[in-house]
Amino acid sequence: MPFTFKKQIFGFMDLLRFKKLVPNRRKKLESGSPAALPKSYRVNETARILHPGYQRAKLVAVEQNTADTKTYTLETQNPFLFRAGQYVTLGCKVGQSEVSRPYAISSAPKAALGRKISLTVKNCGFFSGYLFDHASVGDEFTVGDPSGDFCYEPVKDAEHVVALAGGSGITPFYSMAQAVADGTDNYALTIFYGARTAEDLIFKKELDALVSDKIKVIYVLSDEQKEGFEHGFIGAGLIKKYVSGDYTVMMCGPQAMYAFAEKELASLGLPLRRIKKEANCVCSRDVKAEKYELTVHIGFETFKIPADSRETILTAMERAGLKVPSKCRAGGCGFCHSKLVSGKFAIAGADKRRLADAKFGYIHPCCFYPDSDMELIVPKA
Amino acid sequence: MKKYDAVVIGAGNGGLVAAIRLLQGGAKTLLVEKHNLPGGFATSFRRGRFEFEASLHELNDFGTADNAGDVRVLFDELGVTDKIEWMQIPEAYRVISRAEKLDATMPFGVRAFIDKMEQYVPGSRDSVTKFFELAEEVRLAQAYSSAVNGKTDPKVMVGKYGNFVRAGSYSVNEVLKALKMPKKARDILNAYWCYLGAHCDDLSFVHYASMVNRYILRGASMPKMRSHEISLALVERIRELGGDILFNTEAVKILTDAQDGGVAGVVLDDGTQIAARHVVANCAPHIVFGRMMDKVPECEIRAANARKFSGRGFTMFLGLDADADELGIENHNYFLYDTMDSAAQYERMRTIRSNEVQATVCLNRAFPECSPKGTCMMYFTTLYMSDDWGNVRAEDYFRTKDYVANKMIDRFEQDTGAKLRGHIEEISVATPMTYARYCGHPQGVIYGYESQYWDGLMPRLQMMAEDHKVRGLRFAGGYAMRLSGYSSAYFSGDISGRQTVGDIKKEG
Repeated sequence: MPFTFKKQIFGFMDLLRFKKLVPNRRKKLESGSPAALPKSYRVNETARILHPGYQRAKLVAVEQNTADTKTYTLETQNPFLFRAGQYVTLGCKVGQSEVSRPYAISSAPKAALGRKISLTVKNCGFFSGYLFDHASVGDEFTVGDPSGDFCYEPVKDAEHVVALAGGSGITPFYSMAQAVADGTDNYALTIFYGARTAEDLIFKKELDALVSDKIKVIYVLSDEQKEGFEHGFIGAGLIKKYVSGDYTVMMCGPQAMYAFAEKELASLGLPLRRIKKEANCVCSRDVKAEKYELTVHIGFETFKIPADSRETILTAMERAGLKVPSKCRAGGCGFCHSKLVSGKFAIAGADKRRLADAKFGYIHPCCFYPDSDMELIVPKA
Repeated sequence: MKKYDAVVIGAGNGGLVAAIRLLQGGAKTLLVEKHNLPGGFATSFRRGRFEFEASLHELNDFGTADNAGDVRVLFDELGVTDKIEWMQIPEAYRVISRAEKLDATMPFGVRAFIDKMEQYVPGSRDSVTKFFELAEEVRLAQAYSSAVNGKTDPKVMVGKYGNFVRAGSYSVNEVLKALKMPKKARDILNAYWCYLGAHCDDLSFVHYASMVNRYILRGASMPKMRSHEISLALVERIRELGGDILFNTEAVKILTDAQDGGVAGVVLDDGTQIAARHVVANCAPHIVFGRMMDKVPECEIRAANARKFSGRGFTMFLGLDADADELGIENHNYFLYDTMDSAAQYERMRTIRSNEVQATVCLNRAFPECSPKGTCMMYFTTLYMSDDWGNVRAEDYFRTKDYVANKMIDRFEQDTGAKLRGHIEEISVATPMTYARYCGHPQGVIYGYESQYWDGLMPRLQMMAEDHKVRGLRFAGGYAMRLSGYSSAYFSGDISGRQTVGDIKKEG
């Protein structure tokens, strides 16, 4: 049997109360302060320090570290913060193209709060070559948002980090070492730093100066036998010689180093949660050269541009001078997320898209190669 | 200058639905979104072997094809239901509260829920049954109210929905006490309160009953590919209907007409001006009236200032390298409280130090294949009832978020007996700063304006017409007339989209 709800003695009193809901709210809204609404909020301001987005930066120093590496120090528009191990993109106009590349930050997080950031770059490609030959103090660049998960995670990582660095892969670890030394982060850091010869070691002097009860550095030279240096490649034997107990491995270096290190780590029986690997940029692929046409919709405009089967879709768009989003260049961050209207493609390495992206035809141009003419919708940069 | 009938600002749940409604109504529509993805909170992200759901715990009021809930009916009308693979959530929730030593697991289905409650609290059947009768009447009354766009006939209301009207002005606790519901049954029934973010002495009964009913009556659903699947399906539909969408594009200004002060256009972040006489804003009135318009009527500023921000969000995501059985995670959806005195609990949720509440989901308990074999994933959410994160300096930010993450893990292990430490393969944490960054909400608020008693669902719906003060400007999303939550945001987009179509037609 349906019941009759009643809160007060007489039901009509409940009805009267209900009738007052609107006048009450109306009065309340009218009695709000006429003072201007805030333009910003503290949490949003802090978010801007943590994620400044793109900002202008001026090159203030260039230091040659080794024959093929230089460190570029920039002064950014705004103070910001990052986690040691993260990267930013550095970009500028080269000829007719807007070009940017991701580089691990080699300076300490604290320095960024003082608007200083250093990127250590190996001369090995188009943009780094440009930097080597043309960048000089006073030049203006665009620095992107600090990104990536290649960082120490105190909640889950071991209290001891074993860093495997190959060549210019030392850069994020130099930042991490500074963060440990200045108290920003708190863990023990053992760095195995592999290079061909002692001449090729970047930051040797600086790293030696940071050695403490928390920070150890073991240099491993592949092409040179020298006292005070290990010889060969960074492998399980070497790791066992210097470290024991629970540790998290973080590795950053060339693909060849990963292939070797991964086999070695397998013999140590480390679970996946104890291994982090920084992704490398996707390069060109070794296939027969084919020419395709890409139809690219950006905002209200449409562009027809050429593409080469050996290069990524992102590279094709950059070559054509289109301003398009790019960040990790390794397929993982999703920053270049674009809608595929039609066309065939191949993916470099593992498919790192979200499930629904694959279902609804979204791609990450930074790690997708064209296998036919294509049409895409790309957000503006 | 590009010209549109309507511009939708923000591709959150409300904005996406509004855009479809506008297009279905024949309006030439532009949707602009500052992020590179649609959905707002309704998205997913990948870490290693895992794809995490960013926010959706469970979608209520969806149901099945032969027992369709209001959200499914809406999705059918929008033409998106079949673009999404759906699955059912197995049970309603498990609530654990320390002060009362409460630990109850509740099923979906009204009858099953009442039976289970009677087991936990003998003698509760009568009052809990009445609660659901009342809740169903709330649902029907709201359906009537929506059908007439808030212009309800008092005679119909009192005649057909008398209980609804008589209960309509009271808080949750006032009504449950009037129903003579035993305290323990109230405690169990009130578990969902943190989904609405106002405590049960201040939360309108109508709003709460409506939500509980939407969950229990038809169960809850989840898209297989996380909420990102829904968001992309809605985008797909917008494109099918010929709508234009710009991602990575922020609308920075709403231009107004010098004559009537109404909408004249929108300025985008690159300076592009769009002519349009209608805007559906899927963002906070605080943002629109605080910095997007040059001339704002004083009544809008007073109204915004009078309102209270709801909870600021915090979510921790864990990818674990063992399955739920092995870790002792028994349930899909947990509410962990210090006390079921929600007013006292609300107070404790003001600060980073004192807040230990969590609403936690193990997605594998609904969908075992959501992560690789031998793994599982969880997300833990809480709300802060003050701007305490505003006190956190950037240099203390990472330490603070780790402090909360650790506290959440410890609390979950202590209260449920599960073991998570030593199995965390991936972790990601979203703080109020994260929500502020991605969605632009003031202070990292995730629930819009609080569902306080005076500003609750009923008066907002009843005042829909008079709250519309700037010609051509309507709101969708968590700050709008249906309040926050997935289904509410979808409904708000439905309402504002359809109303704007009406506005356009009236202009001829």
